[in-house]
Amino acid sequence: MNWKNVLSLMRVERKAGRLIRGRKLTKYRESGFLAYWPYWVALALGIAGGVLVGMVYNFASTNDPEIYALFQQGTLSIFLSLPTLVLVYSLVFTTMQQIQRSGVKISSQVPYWLPVTWQEHTLASILASLLGFPLASVMFITSIITVFSVFIGQVLPALLTSLAVFAAAFMASATTEILRILQVRFIGAVYKSSGRAAVWVRFAGSLLFFLVFYIIYFYVTSGGAVTFIQTIASAQTAAWFIPFVWLGMTLYSFTSGLLLQGFIFLALSILFIAGLFFLAILLNRRFGLYEPPALTISRGTYAPKTGVLGKLGFSMVEAALIRKDLRAFTRRRELMTIFIVPIVVILVPLMQSLGQTNGAFPSEAAVFMLAMTFLFPASVMAMSLGSLIIGEEGQVVWRIYSSPISAKTLVKSKYFFIIFFSLIVLAITGIFGFIVYHPSLRATIVAYCEAVLLVFAIGAISLSNGIRGADFTETPRPRMIHLSWSMINLCACLVAGIAILAPFFPYVLSSMLSEIMPGLTGVALLDPLLAVVVSAIIAIILTAIFYRIALKNARELLTKAEM
Amino acid sequence: MSETYAVELKSVGKRYNEILAVDQVDLTIKTGEIFGLLGPNGSGKSTTLKMLLGLVQPDSGSVNVLGIDVQKDAVAVKQLVGYVPESPRLYEFLTGIEYLDFIGDIYGMQTAEKKTRITEYLKALQLEGREGDMINGYSEGMKQKIALISAFLHRPKLLILDEPLSALDPRSARIIKDFLHQLKMQGVTTIMSTHVLEIAQAVCDRIGIMYQGRILALGNMKELRQMSKLPDSGLEDIFLKLTGTDDIRAVVEELLK
Repeated sequence: MNWKNVLSLMRVERKAGRLIRGRKLTKYRESGFLAYWPYWVALALGIAGGVLVGMVYNFASTNDPEIYALFQQGTLSIFLSLPTLVLVYSLVFTTMQQIQRSGVKISSQVPYWLPVTWQEHTLASILASLLGFPLASVMFITSIITVFSVFIGQVLPALLTSLAVFAAAFMASATTEILRILQVRFIGAVYKSSGRAAVWVRFAGSLLFFLVFYIIYFYVTSGGAVTFIQTIASAQTAAWFIPFVWLGMTLYSFTSGLLLQGFIFLALSILFIAGLFFLAILLNRRFGLYEPPALTISRGTYAPKTGVLGKLGFSMVEAALIRKDLRAFTRRRELMTIFIVPIVVILVPLMQSLGQTNGAFPSEAAVFMLAMTFLFPASVMAMSLGSLIIGEEGQVVWRIYSSPISAKTLVKSKYFFIIFFSLIVLAITGIFGFIVYHPSLRATIVAYCEAVLLVFAIGAISLSNGIRGADFTETPRPRMIHLSWSMINLCACLVAGIAILAPFFPYVLSSMLSEIMPGLTGVALLDPLLAVVVSAIIAIILTAIFYRIALKNARELLTKAEM
Repeated sequence: MSETYAVELKSVGKRYNEILAVDQVDLTIKTGEIFGLLGPNGSGKSTTLKMLLGLVQPDSGSVNVLGIDVQKDAVAVKQLVGYVPESPRLYEFLTGIEYLDFIGDIYGMQTAEKKTRITEYLKALQLEGREGDMINGYSEGMKQKIALISAFLHRPKLLILDEPLSALDPRSARIIKDFLHQLKMQGVTTIMSTHVLEIAQAVCDRIGIMYQGRILALGNMKELRQMSKLPDSGLEDIFLKLTGTDDIRAVVEELLK
């Protein structure tokens, strides 16, 4: 193994982060200190945190022997669960790193023409996935426990834990590397064998992957660290036969005085990590240069169709643009993630509320959930689509620039697409809401009307911002909108949403107050359809204004097509 | 605007911050002419070509294409022009046939005409059988063929081609060269930018050599030979002499040290 090669490859991967962060590469000067700032900061924070916790411990334990015992026991159980905890976190974050880096094709491409062995390449790839947040978090954890262990007198367990934590992070990254290669190879084969259905296989597969990934991510990040640590600590010893917890078992055995068991688990852990590494090398050697096969979508004679869009009154150019976008959103993986938002919005609160109420919804919660199911997913869809739909053209935007497409045509087709997709989402989530929460017919009509108004207004607002802030950068991944414009769009849509829903605030307020003052029912007696009318006027005005702004921005985009 | 000119540039200038990309260029290209625009990297060729399509706005001067002021009605110009940029990016999530179908619709082609032409071009450039594959599975040469077909599909009056033959196999390159000559007979004007000087010499009626944003030399091969005072030389020697990059031997000797 040539370590210089490994370091050089890792340096390339680290520098790929410049593209991920969208740094301008002209006149780029890198400060050695600043390049590694996350690690220095993590280290400093860890040391400071360790000293702080140590001082608190000193202060508390000198006065109370019970606190002393509690700290000793608690610290040890945290130490024991740390390797597995880091393993789970690292699996999530190294997967995210892999997803990010997959876009930086130049750096992630195997330099097979260089004198680099597969061992070196695999090791560099595994270590590079740890760069950034995974490594910084590991450095933070190890520094805090090491410093704190000095105060508590458990330096040896802390040092062992630190080693185990680094090993766990490596284990996670090696696992991610194995999964990456398998994913490239076998999903490619699935596509190939799927023939014409490949696009739908890819669509469903990608949705499923992101859905599972986000649910795990939300579970891990929102469940609460304490609960998570407790679960790991209790489940670890019961699941001793799973190789991924052997590091934790090693620590447990040593700290419990079971030296023989400790050495056995240590040996098993080393063997398992080595096994993962060699498996990754083997798979890289076998499939590292594998190119996924081309997807054949259509066979047979070419028969152009006029299509439904033409019958709906769209011009040929508009229909072509809409059809092209429809294909983009069902075939491009980065665009498919847009469908995750409505699914997650429905699933996550539903799962939480079902868990809390054992399936029965209190009426206030049902009203809130109903409003959220109707209004939120479709509005978010309109906001996301509007902000991305111009930037998603990426580098191929030259095609739009160089074709005889007017600003009016561009805006009309893109706006139709936003409204069409958002209304589909509304129809699905609305049916879901109706079945689950059983609202009255009047409440359903009001909710549908408001959602449609929100979709039209937010669609126009986000389209105007999406054109203005379009970012056609594709490396390492399509950026689609500048961050600043994304923020502006979010705020603008939020304000517009509040403005459109404002006529309903008196109803909400009177409903809340009526519980305190039962006599106050005047506003609630008014027909909510009145609020819908006021709301519609606000939405129509906003839509008209922002549609015009979108047209103006599109004209500017097409005439100042500086590529 | 004279009817015999397909392209007319008058005192056109373009600056990108400190870099002067195009410096007061005056250029006319006759209808039905195959014009080669040559020059070293960064000489302003691509910027000039983009200005013809309204993709880049000139800071000064006027650009007239097929009798239309580009700054006033870029969409009308684009309707009449076929364009292939240097390393064209295509919608990789579409199949070859879907992409060409999309292009046909964008240029408002009738269904029957679109079908006939797409089928003919696919056959001529040996893409039959692969037209149903997604473009992300194509080789660079296949992508270039799709880009070229998309430029020819709507029968444009002016072709703007930046490195049109790059990555093409010899058969396809020959087909494109012959096709450009046939189009010339039909009155189609072609502006071609290339670094392969043999191609420019073989294909182009007239050649313009750009250097540091200016047209350094303009004319047919005979006129260029006279200008460079190299009566029996090929385009490569003329180019190197005119652009002041004829110190090749010294550079090679330095590298060998």
